[in-house]
Amino acid sequence: MSKLIREILDDSQKKFSDTIAVKWLKKKEIMERNYTDTIAYIRKIRNSITEMGYEKKHFALIGQNSIEWIESYYAIVTGNNVAVPLDAGLPLEDLIELLNRSDSVGVFIGVKLKGYIDEIKKNCPAIEKIWILTEDDIEEADDIVRPLNELIKGDDVNIESNAPKANDTAMIIFTSGTTGKSKGVVITHYNLAENVEAVGFNAESQHTVLSVLPIHHAFCLVMDWFKGFSIGSTLCINDSLLHMIKNIGIFKPKVMLMVPLMIETIYKRLAVASETTPKEVLKEKVLGGNLKVVFTGGAHLDPYYIKEFEDYGVLILEGYGMSECAPVISSNSIEDHKVGSIGRPLPNVKIKISEIGEILVKSTSVMREYYKMPSETNETIVDGWLHTGDKGYLDEDGFLFINGRVKNLIILSNGENVSPEEIEGKLALNPLVGEVVITGEDNGLMARIYPDKEAAERLQMSDTEIESKLRECIDEYNKKQPTYRQITGLYIRKYPFIKNSTRKIKRQEVLIDEPIE
Amino acid sequence: MEQKFKEIIAQYAKVPVEEITDDKKFREDLGLTSLDFMSLLGELEDEFDVEFEEENAATVFTVADALEIMKNLTEGE
Repeated sequence: MSKLIREILDDSQKKFSDTIAVKWLKKKEIMERNYTDTIAYIRKIRNSITEMGYEKKHFALIGQNSIEWIESYYAIVTGNNVAVPLDAGLPLEDLIELLNRSDSVGVFIGVKLKGYIDEIKKNCPAIEKIWILTEDDIEEADDIVRPLNELIKGDDVNIESNAPKANDTAMIIFTSGTTGKSKGVVITHYNLAENVEAVGFNAESQHTVLSVLPIHHAFCLVMDWFKGFSIGSTLCINDSLLHMIKNIGIFKPKVMLMVPLMIETIYKRLAVASETTPKEVLKEKVLGGNLKVVFTGGAHLDPYYIKEFEDYGVLILEGYGMSECAPVISSNSIEDHKVGSIGRPLPNVKIKISEIGEILVKSTSVMREYYKMPSETNETIVDGWLHTGDKGYLDEDGFLFINGRVKNLIILSNGENVSPEEIEGKLALNPLVGEVVITGEDNGLMARIYPDKEAAERLQMSDTEIESKLRECIDEYNKKQPTYRQITGLYIRKYPFIKNSTRKIKRQEVLIDEPIE
Repeated sequence: MEQKFKEIIAQYAKVPVEEITDDKKFREDLGLTSLDFMSLLGELEDEFDVEFEEENAATVFTVADALEIMKNLTEGE
């Protein structure tokens, strides 16, 4: 059996002791910590938590990518507790709901989100401790709110946490569900260990990786961090998406994991600059000069970009995965790849294509369940096969391809999955919204609304007034959402949507039955 | 500052600078993706030596919104 994450970490400390494990920016200065020290910090945090009596408890993490976030995460997972990484960009009310639903007893929260603490204390009765992710002292400390440095300073902690077992839960990751309510994917230590082992990227250890994926994603945690640490990489933390391109120049990575939107964004910068600057110069200026390999997944990437990046000496390798598979299912590799494909299934994965063309997965990395959602679990894992919701096929060489979706989920090119029903449900609360369908178009979300004519008549509103009120409704919704979940277009329909016999809107018709003029 | 600010936005959106009016929405009207928009803010940070919070990016919709934040940041120094 594969080594579990804690054993991998212990091995890395021995094997790569003086190698730099993590680099990050503090103000404008590059900071670094080697494997020995990084793992010592992790051990201190986990032993301090253990000393407080916590074992097999759930701890949420909310914050931007940072050294404190990742060390705390490792401490929770390797310390026989369960990590619940949450999207820091979610509205506070959603975070509170997830903290309660995940049964979290503690929260590690980023410094910039300190403003959320009072509401969390008020609305999450199970929360016993809130640690602020900083190595500095804090002003607002009380019985519940504590600085992270308090856990790190615990030199005199002699207790050592029990090692987690293979089938213990390591983390719960929330993912958009097709029914609107997000689902907590329960991933075990065995699931994670098998995925780290099965991804065969061992070729060149001790290379530099710039970690730009959102840190609460399984793809980032497992492939940047667990995999990276297992082979002695130096992981550089991208402090903000605002600085991604600048940080490529600063850290000069050799390898990056990205979602397609990031590749597209970098390409646009290259395309604009290449009108006046030679490619050799841009390779240095925009891509840092060392970038050789980009692994991508989470959404479809147009093969055009793969060809374009080849001109800059960068090999883009597409893969496929989902949180429910912890997360990688298939991947192209440096030695063995095919453009347009999402690669061969990993050695621990079996693929079957269902009668309707859906990709089904059986693997040692398939999650145990959705947290406290037995019926959703039984709908997704049937007879041991995980239903991915994607349609696809295997070609004669064994490469996997995707060619559609079975489930109604919008996959944005930043890899975020958006449930249209969830947004539709929120917009439908406005009395002027008669019918609404959210679609993913041009890399954004479009709201197609058929106004409630009766309500409009009652309020004696003109078409212009209806449009202006609906725009206000969308602006209000957008203000509470992270940028990727904001609605970027509104189309007001003249006619109601076409329905099926059970009065449900026929989603596959909405783009064609009344095209946007 | 306003002119330079609009020139950078125009370069990102690939439109003439005259089209960058205050009421233009970055995503809906100028066609920027969420990450284009983030990168743009990053470039504005470098140009004007200010610091945007990523969390605040979600509340910036129009050119006027961004300009107001920028003015507050530069005046606040």
